[in-house]
Amino acid sequence: MKRTPIGGLLILGTMALAMIGPILTVILWAFAVKWRYPHILPTEWGIKFWFGMLGRETIITPVLTSLALTSIATTAAAAICWPAAYAFARLKFPGRQVMLFSFIAAQAVPKFALFVSIAVIFLRLNLVGSFWGVVLVQMLSAVLYMIWIPTAAFRGIPPALEEAAFDLGASRLRVFLQITLPQALPALAASYVLAFVSILFEVDGALLIGAPTVTTMPLLLMSLSAQVIVQEAAVLCVMIWVPCFILLLLTRRFMTAKGIAQGFGA
Amino acid sequence: MIRFATKSGGNTPGHLQRTGPGREALAGLALVALPVAMLLMLTLWPTVSMVIATFTVDGHMSTSRYAYFFTDAYSLANLRFTMVQGLVSALSALAISFGIALYLRFSAGRIATMIHALSLFPLFVPSIIISYALVRFLGPNGLFQLLLEQVGFTHYRTPYLTPVGPFLAFVWEALPLPVLVISAGLTQVSDHAVEAARDLGAGPIRILWEVLLPQVRRSLLIAFALIFLGIIGAYTVPYMLGPAAPEMMGVFMQRTLGNLHDADAAQVQAVVLMVISSVVGGFYIATMLKSQGGER
Repeated sequence: MKRTPIGGLLILGTMALAMIGPILTVILWAFAVKWRYPHILPTEWGIKFWFGMLGRETIITPVLTSLALTSIATTAAAAICWPAAYAFARLKFPGRQVMLFSFIAAQAVPKFALFVSIAVIFLRLNLVGSFWGVVLVQMLSAVLYMIWIPTAAFRGIPPALEEAAFDLGASRLRVFLQITLPQALPALAASYVLAFVSILFEVDGALLIGAPTVTTMPLLLMSLSAQVIVQEAAVLCVMIWVPCFILLLLTRRFMTAKGIAQGFGA
Repeated sequence: MIRFATKSGGNTPGHLQRTGPGREALAGLALVALPVAMLLMLTLWPTVSMVIATFTVDGHMSTSRYAYFFTDAYSLANLRFTMVQGLVSALSALAISFGIALYLRFSAGRIATMIHALSLFPLFVPSIIISYALVRFLGPNGLFQLLLEQVGFTHYRTPYLTPVGPFLAFVWEALPLPVLVISAGLTQVSDHAVEAARDLGAGPIRILWEVLLPQVRRSLLIAFALIFLGIIGAYTVPYMLGPAAPEMMGVFMQRTLGNLHDADAAQVQAVVLMVISSVVGGFYIATMLKSQGGER
């Protein structure tokens, strides 16, 4: 059933255009000083717009807000979810299956509708438009990564090694710190990166809970994208996304059929 | 698949078992308490409170808010648009992914590897980035139009701000999951099974329908449910790429709550969307539970 390479090349060409074309356009715009119709490449190259943006408070403030917000929400989510993941993987307690399953079931709730309901409650609690209100809803987005990947990772560690160390007289804390944790660390780091990037680019919660007082980087990007000057949004995209892309590539191991598809339950 | 139940103590290391069941249960409950509480406070409580609020008018139970939604032509048009967009985009994404997965199953080498990598690329691209990128790529005088004009095609009409715009973005974003699960399913069909079917006189369509498809049917259903749910709850893609009217429910809810400050109407819209999702979501959960049972 092997097809001719021509068929394969045709698929590859179409895929390359469709998958890379859009992002490539943005990258070209970010380094374009002039790009006039009908040239297929910028007519004048340069990084003029990069310097123009770095000094502007309206650009820098949302980016810093986003970085602070994302770091706090991701770290807080990790602090409460990683121990829970260990418990889900290694301890027996009543309601364990139901609770673990509820984290998966929560995925079936349409996110935007859920955020509307949260926004109405936060309005009453005076949390709308507050930094900490946004932190709370964004922690919710992180839970997906912070429970599943670590739970699977703790499960994957063979207990024999821990038992051996325990039998040799190591304390429970020492077994955890020296045997269990080092083995789970890559998966924990991956879950942190995945959650961090997904929160950094999160729009729905930031918009419904944060606007108009808390402006995050994605909200800034939305308003810049409506501007006449194309380059500013393009520069922001490249500046923020490229480092994230590289970080995400490091977690690729956890983005396989096993990691993602099976994580989703397929 | 994450397994929820391990055979009695199968995975619990000995040193943890020695603590005795009572202390282990307490430790377990204490460790999961915070995230579970967060899930209850930020999912169950708002949802329940929202449903109650939508049925309450001036302190009395009433369905008048829903009566308004279901008689308002604009609300219904938005709901219909959202469902059609979800259905068409999810089915198209599945069809394309199936084609890619089939190609990958029966090819090897550098071309196949590159196609595989390209189909997974959206995993690394957030919604907001691809939405903006598609505006620049497909929009008026965008790179796609420029490329077409280079080869002499001058009748390009941009999908930007039409229903086709969000459709393309949804399909783009949805590709990785079905490609991964369908590929995984198809690798479980051995070459021998395919050859045996062919020796028995089965044509390509029959092989596809009776040998390959049954292997991936469950994966297809779960992928469909997840993609569909993601699309009907989406905001960024339809806001950036879609038409001004009709609106998809995400944009509709945001405008109702954020611009018109009509929390009551926005909540009704949210509940309607949640009820529809719960049908698809319930099916997704049931399929998953069934597979859990099968695995134990």
